[in-house]
Amino acid sequence: MMTAPTFPDERVLMKGNEAIAEAAIQAGCDAYFGYPITPQAELLEWMARRMPELGRAFVQAESELGAITMALGASAAGARVLVSSSSPGMSLMAEAMSYMAGSELPVLVVNVMRGGPGLGSIGPAQSDYFQATKGHGHGDYRVPVLAPSSIAEAIALVADGFDLAERYRTPVILLADGILGQAMEPVNPHFRSLPPRHDDWSLSGADGRPPRVVRSLHLRPEDLEVHNDHLGAKYRDIATHEVRWVGERLDDAEIAVVAYGTAARVARTAIARAREAGLAVGLVRPISLWPFPAAALARLAPRLRALVVVELSAGQMVEDVRLAVEGQAPIFFHGRTGGMVPAPDEVLGAIRRAWAITADRTVAT
Amino acid sequence: MTLTRADRPTTGQPADRVVYRRPDLLSDISTHYCPGCGHGIVHRLLAEVLGDLGLGPRTIAVAPVGCAVFAYDYLRLDFVEAPHGRAPAVATGVRRVRPDAFVLAYQGDGDLAAIGTAEIVHAAARGEAITVIFVNNGIYGMTGGQMAPTTLIGQRTTSTPGGRDARTAGYPLPITEMLALLPGVGYAARGSIAEPASIGKAKAMIRRACEIQVAERAFAIVEILSTCPVGWGMTPRESARHLAEDVPATYPLGVIVDRFRGAATTVGAGR
Amino acid sequence: MAVAAPASRVPLPARARGRAFHPLEIDIDRCKGCELCVGVCPPGVLVLDPTIVNRLGHHPVRLVDATRCTSCALCARICPDAVFTVYARPRETSR
Repeated sequence: MMTAPTFPDERVLMKGNEAIAEAAIQAGCDAYFGYPITPQAELLEWMARRMPELGRAFVQAESELGAITMALGASAAGARVLVSSSSPGMSLMAEAMSYMAGSELPVLVVNVMRGGPGLGSIGPAQSDYFQATKGHGHGDYRVPVLAPSSIAEAIALVADGFDLAERYRTPVILLADGILGQAMEPVNPHFRSLPPRHDDWSLSGADGRPPRVVRSLHLRPEDLEVHNDHLGAKYRDIATHEVRWVGERLDDAEIAVVAYGTAARVARTAIARAREAGLAVGLVRPISLWPFPAAALARLAPRLRALVVVELSAGQMVEDVRLAVEGQAPIFFHGRTGGMVPAPDEVLGAIRRAWAITADRTVAT
Repeated sequence: MTLTRADRPTTGQPADRVVYRRPDLLSDISTHYCPGCGHGIVHRLLAEVLGDLGLGPRTIAVAPVGCAVFAYDYLRLDFVEAPHGRAPAVATGVRRVRPDAFVLAYQGDGDLAAIGTAEIVHAAARGEAITVIFVNNGIYGMTGGQMAPTTLIGQRTTSTPGGRDARTAGYPLPITEMLALLPGVGYAARGSIAEPASIGKAKAMIRRACEIQVAERAFAIVEILSTCPVGWGMTPRESARHLAEDVPATYPLGVIVDRFRGAATTVGAGR
Repeated sequence: MAVAAPASRVPLPARARGRAFHPLEIDIDRCKGCELCVGVCPPGVLVLDPTIVNRLGHHPVRLVDATRCTSCALCARICPDAVFTVYARPRETSR
């Protein structure tokens, strides 16, 4: 369990999209590839100005498909790469996510989620949880997913994301939403820098060494199975060591709200109001959506009378909560779709309903 | 004529001048290509040119999806596999982060002119300093012989069993002529591996395309008309004859544009 | 039909041992019997050898008359499998 980041002394106001972009630059991002899409165009525009200033690579590609595939090439050639998009653009990146996972290429991909499905809306949403944690491309693979709930946290998770991607040789998704991307918040303008990428497998020209190949094709089934076993071992390693979540006010909680990103901030306000009304409520805030903090929820569930999952979606993370809890406590859900954001009093209402319905439930102490 | 390295013959003969030997950049692995397949000739020409120009040690090449998916097993170069059609985008990514590398994309007709049309058009529009080798045999060999965007009208394939009918399947795509319209394209040419004379010209085009990248930092594409004996249902020699006699009517040979040698030339045979 | 011997070079016939010149070295285990070289050889001195099945399962090409080979290397230029090494005839060797 991690503690929430504390605010430093120095603060500047930064827009989320721009803060994420600058965090990547300070973390040593060598190349950015993107395509304009609301609500993350500011990220691309920040990069368009800053990367050429620094002599680094910037390309506005012909599509998100082009952008992510450029990132594949740049990563294969040893660069630290950022790509950003929003939900419909992420759908176009599905193919390359599979190829990058299979080829074991580190790339950080930022999804500033908006309402869907289809063209949807440009309002904030969390309806890409399935896509990020279980979907995008074909084949047996997982991708670490990090979900900030403040701009300050997004800045920190950018560096963490690059670090994760390179330590494990995997794409990593930073899952934000339109509110985080567009809002301005006070942040510490000191960004974490990372040492440059250094590896023995990326491409630089076979000068005085045997040629290297970056690929995902293993045509013989026996060979592909071995490769999949290797990937599986990596994912188990990540699941063991890279779970991130935060608990707030859980010590005496009888109900836990489970929420991430912007939903967690709304939930925090609702929980404060619930506490004022005498209800013992706490918050479980996953930061890594994959690997999901399933073990923590399983440990917590027996002493809760209910969990209330809040998402800006029709209910996606709630399924992982159910899997983790395995029936040890009842689970309630409150969500809004289409780009709508629940008000704190809606969430408070859901908490009260859960409280009333489970009045007779006895819990483990 | 390639003289890759003057050497003593291994059969114990008197020290003769080597007129031709297998280029060093070809690996020892025998290719999986069908007998008479043009890919083998194009790989060989690439190995010769890159060897002559000393570019092997700094080449980063991009392999396609198609029969040439295993190109990385046959050429001694750093290689990255691209998803189908995406080689120009992958090459762009490599190009932008490795300024000193020589960047090569190798693609077939489905890869470049069907699924990858957006990627090649925009890499060319951006004038990416990459060299694209486009092997056009008018058919999808790897998947069993279906129609390609460059399949000729009337040509029988497994997805045009009655012969390609323009009314339902459209016309062959002159993608290289289309790309040559773009100011970012430094060189666009079409050669053929049908017979030794055209092979020699194709090699010169490949060499020029590589020079364009190195000297002018511009985009270059060489389309090489090639054969697919098994897909076409012909022997290798029949395929070569068909390629020499029938294909250039739709896809004329020659340099389509060379922006660094005066005014653009118009499409035409020969040079 | 004989399977190719482990050595991949064409064995020199008895009459050719000594100081005779051999313009072509053929890597018979790389040949796929496509006959493109047969079609382009100007003096027509290349044929597939039906007495050999190589490691790839093909009849490889054979030079049937070295004295008529001019080392033009058209065979090498068209070969998709880079099977040929071609040597120029030294001036002092008589045909």
